[in-house]
Amino acid sequence: PGPGPAPSARRPAPSGPPQAAWAETLRGACEPEHHWRYRREFLLRNVGELPAAGSAQLQRLVSLSMVWANHVFLGCRYPPQVMEKALEMAEGIQVTDAPVRTTRDELVAKVKKRGISSSNG
Amino acid sequence: MGVPAFFRWLSRKYPSIIVNCVEEKAKECNGVKVPIDTSKPNPNEVEFDNLYLDMNGIIHPCTHPEDKPAPKNEDEMMVAIFEYIDRIFNIVRPRRLLYMAIDGVAPRAKMNQQRSRRFRASKEGMEAAEEKQKIRQEILAKGGFLPPEEVKERFDSNCITPGTEFMDNLAKCLRYYIADRLNSDPGWQNLTVILSDASAPGEGEHKIMDYIRRQRAQPNHDPNTHHCLCGADADLIMLGLATHEPNFTIIREEFKPNKPKPCALCNQMGHEVKDCQGLPREKQGKHDQFADTLPISEQEFIFIRLCVLREYLERELTMASLPFTFDFERSVDDWVFMCFFVGNDFLPHLPSLEIREGAIDRLVNIYKNVVHKTGGYLTESGFVNLQRVQMIMLAVGEVEDSIFKKRKDDDDNFKRRQKEKRKRLKRDQPSFIPGGQFSPQALGNRSSPQAICNPRQAAFEMRMHDRQNSTTSPFSNTNMPPNGSPSPGGGIKRKPEDSDSEPEPEDNIRLWETGWKQRYYKNKFDVDASDEKFRRKVVQSYVEGLCWVLRYYYQGCASWNWYYPFHYAPFASDFEGIADMPSDFEKGSKPFKPLEQLMGVFPAASGNFLPPTWRKLMTDPESSIIDFYPEDFAIDLNGKKYAWQGVALLPFVDERRLRAALEEVYPDLTPEESRRNSLGGDVLFVGKHHPLCDFIVEQYKTKNTEPVDIPPELCHGIQGKLTLNDNAVLPDQVVESPVPMLRDLTQNSAVSISFKDPQFAEDFVFKATVLPGAKKPAPVLKPGDWEKTNNDGRPWRPQLGFNRDRKPVHLDQSAFRTLGTALEFDLLSLSLSLSLSYLAILFCPPDLRPQESWRGPTPLFQQTPQRTAGATPLLAWNRMLQSQNQFQPAQYQGLGPMGYPQRPEDRMDRGRQVGKQGPRWGEPQPTLQVTWAAVHENATEGKMLLERSR
Repeated sequence: PGPGPAPSARRPAPSGPPQAAWAETLRGACEPEHHWRYRREFLLRNVGELPAAGSAQLQRLVSLSMVWANHVFLGCRYPPQVMEKALEMAEGIQVTDAPVRTTRDELVAKVKKRGISSSNG
Repeated sequence: MGVPAFFRWLSRKYPSIIVNCVEEKAKECNGVKVPIDTSKPNPNEVEFDNLYLDMNGIIHPCTHPEDKPAPKNEDEMMVAIFEYIDRIFNIVRPRRLLYMAIDGVAPRAKMNQQRSRRFRASKEGMEAAEEKQKIRQEILAKGGFLPPEEVKERFDSNCITPGTEFMDNLAKCLRYYIADRLNSDPGWQNLTVILSDASAPGEGEHKIMDYIRRQRAQPNHDPNTHHCLCGADADLIMLGLATHEPNFTIIREEFKPNKPKPCALCNQMGHEVKDCQGLPREKQGKHDQFADTLPISEQEFIFIRLCVLREYLERELTMASLPFTFDFERSVDDWVFMCFFVGNDFLPHLPSLEIREGAIDRLVNIYKNVVHKTGGYLTESGFVNLQRVQMIMLAVGEVEDSIFKKRKDDDDNFKRRQKEKRKRLKRDQPSFIPGGQFSPQALGNRSSPQAICNPRQAAFEMRMHDRQNSTTSPFSNTNMPPNGSPSPGGGIKRKPEDSDSEPEPEDNIRLWETGWKQRYYKNKFDVDASDEKFRRKVVQSYVEGLCWVLRYYYQGCASWNWYYPFHYAPFASDFEGIADMPSDFEKGSKPFKPLEQLMGVFPAASGNFLPPTWRKLMTDPESSIIDFYPEDFAIDLNGKKYAWQGVALLPFVDERRLRAALEEVYPDLTPEESRRNSLGGDVLFVGKHHPLCDFIVEQYKTKNTEPVDIPPELCHGIQGKLTLNDNAVLPDQVVESPVPMLRDLTQNSAVSISFKDPQFAEDFVFKATVLPGAKKPAPVLKPGDWEKTNNDGRPWRPQLGFNRDRKPVHLDQSAFRTLGTALEFDLLSLSLSLSLSYLAILFCPPDLRPQESWRGPTPLFQQTPQRTAGATPLLAWNRMLQSQNQFQPAQYQGLGPMGYPQRPEDRMDRGRQVGKQGPRWGEPQPTLQVTWAAVHENATEGKMLLERSR
């Protein structure tokens, strides 16, 4: 189970008032406007029929929306299974102008590569 | 704030605040160490009442030391911690109170920093272990030699966080340690000991501050208590100033950059893991007698005297013709507040204020200009006047643009100079270095060069060889022609280190170009410059942060759950219209429970410190808080060079969601885990000779369950409530040793009981003032009008220790002879052992004494003994002079037959010098100063210097 991408959820965001009202409660106090717009879309696309408030399903959906937003805007990387799921759920959301980030692993790999080339040089 | 940076700046600007510690070393008799009697007068010529230990500054270096091989297991770590405390105790010798504070759960505001540190530490640790393993394999495959790998798990320093088993065990060990010392150490006899372990909420140094603040606010406090706080954090200086206690000293390890570190694979000095070749260890000295002594010099300690810093600040901050009366104490608080702009643990620093660029001086200048207009101080007892702060901020904002431009210029200039320097260095290389038997040999090398044989033939061969080279390919010779221009043809491949070193990460903010503000907000916050609302939110949060931090330092934690929710600070010029921003915090907030905080600060890789179902929340793809635990995260170098200096872009933890997720797994805690997860309090210990002992024992006898007040007359005016402790140390009960290598205490007479600080009403304000009855310590700095006042024309003599009247030490001729012999002998052994010590002995009259780096002249008697094996005789002798004037036998076993202390004329000298009244004392005597530096130099040169100095 889980907030898996039920086929129905892939349809454009349902704009029903209960879903929209629910989503509005999840907005982070310091989330920039456009980050929130994208995450809201993510939430609404995947929520389907609104489950009971506080249900495990909803909590997981919120968490995955954060996984996705953290990945796109902060540059975080999660374990493969988690990444796959989040990206699958986000299919169809077009994020323009997402910031370009360098992860720590990439940075370290770069330094290492340099280290090797200089020792061979 | 960058600890080394702030501290370096401070100690350069205010050099007299530093006093080197004098440490009495344990004497050894026939291989048995004779314990030091710490009830004897303090050799630093000052007596301290209270010693506070910020334990995390001790735990970290003892569990994963930088400069020596790591301890093998937890037991060794505990013993290392005990020994470290003993060392500090021996230097400080507190007479009334020893307060040990381990970090408990921290306020939420600190969590983001902790989180970022732990996520990084975990990755760094794993990378280091991987590299170690890889190189190990390579070396072994090549047939190298490595000591067998110990069966030890990699020590994850993340376990030094409240709530882990490690911390719980540490608390147990410290209880044992305290009981043991109270029973057996005469220096502890009359001491009150308070242990605030990791179960008591709050950061260690802030628990200490809270204690001091609350004691000061009660009527029985002695206003002239001499406090000594041990810890390396730069904030301790701020915290100490914030107490307004007149006698406050900080003790910390002397900061020595680039200390050599043994290789983690073979435990030898001189190379890093990546250069390890797995060679067998070379003997140190003829019989390997220097094996453990030479390369690692013991870390030394320094005092930082806040009363001297206050003297400096008084000179700097005093302003004439103010529209209001000048109050130095208030201006100190403002100074502390302005230091927060430059950096603290809770807020990122303002982009325009860099400590290296003199940010604090700049702020002080602006402050002095603006304070005339503001009509008063910025802060009062930890509360901020935002209107006045705004004036300061906007004044900084006006020069922000030029600061960024100047930074760029300086940076460019620095790079240019570096480049030129590299070029010059390359050019200055000799164009020809003879090889073979003519090749140059380092002086002092153990294997002396062999005699030249058949020189003509060898020279001929070299000539021929050269000609051959030049005929086959005229450009293959990589040596530069003597004129320094690169050889023609361009056939030389540019080595990577010659090219402008590492490629710089692209800076797309370009603070020095117009439009920097827009670019900064776009790049760092991912918002448009037009998003006024967002920018306002950032500023509002930052202002709240400044208020929170100041309150935290002066009144205690205003809110356990407030935090700054961004990774970057705004600009000073953004602080417009902040005067009416709300700056109060919701009351009644509660700290996290220890295991909850672990969930908030640990990466999934450290999940092993948590119960299984809790751990699962960090890794399970179905977890409702999986977004808190990224495997990898972005690092913004933010103008810095290395990954560890950059900003880790970790997501912030949503407290509500964390609590909701944990609710599900709370029932899975075992009773033991529940105990570790609960918040505890402080425990007070005393020995049987302490006046309070009978009182406490009485409480246990009568089984009084009500909290009772400490009778102030029994405990130097310390106040607080005592409650019976379930887990107490009691007289005549065995205290079991938690460390297998230490014995149980079968004849215990110490007692412990729960202790609670005096309580005050919630809206009570702790006054940031000097208490009535407090005496100002004697001034240390040279009076500004020294020359003008009549001092019989005497020159000013700077004060170097705690004691103004301390007699300087001089050597007479016979002492020099003795010293010379001893040193000469030593040099001999040094040169035999391929030592790296560089030694210079300089003579000169006292007024021409060379300045030793920034600290000014350090007289011999101030140097802590035993820097290296070579220095032992000299310094042991020297210590005797300044302290007890006792004869110390056989300290230097292993130094060979020349038992220096036994020499009769030497004893004579010593007798003469401690006499201190010979007529010769008035005359200017040659003064001896020894400078040590561990550089590759040969002993012969040192010897020559010695000769010359004679």
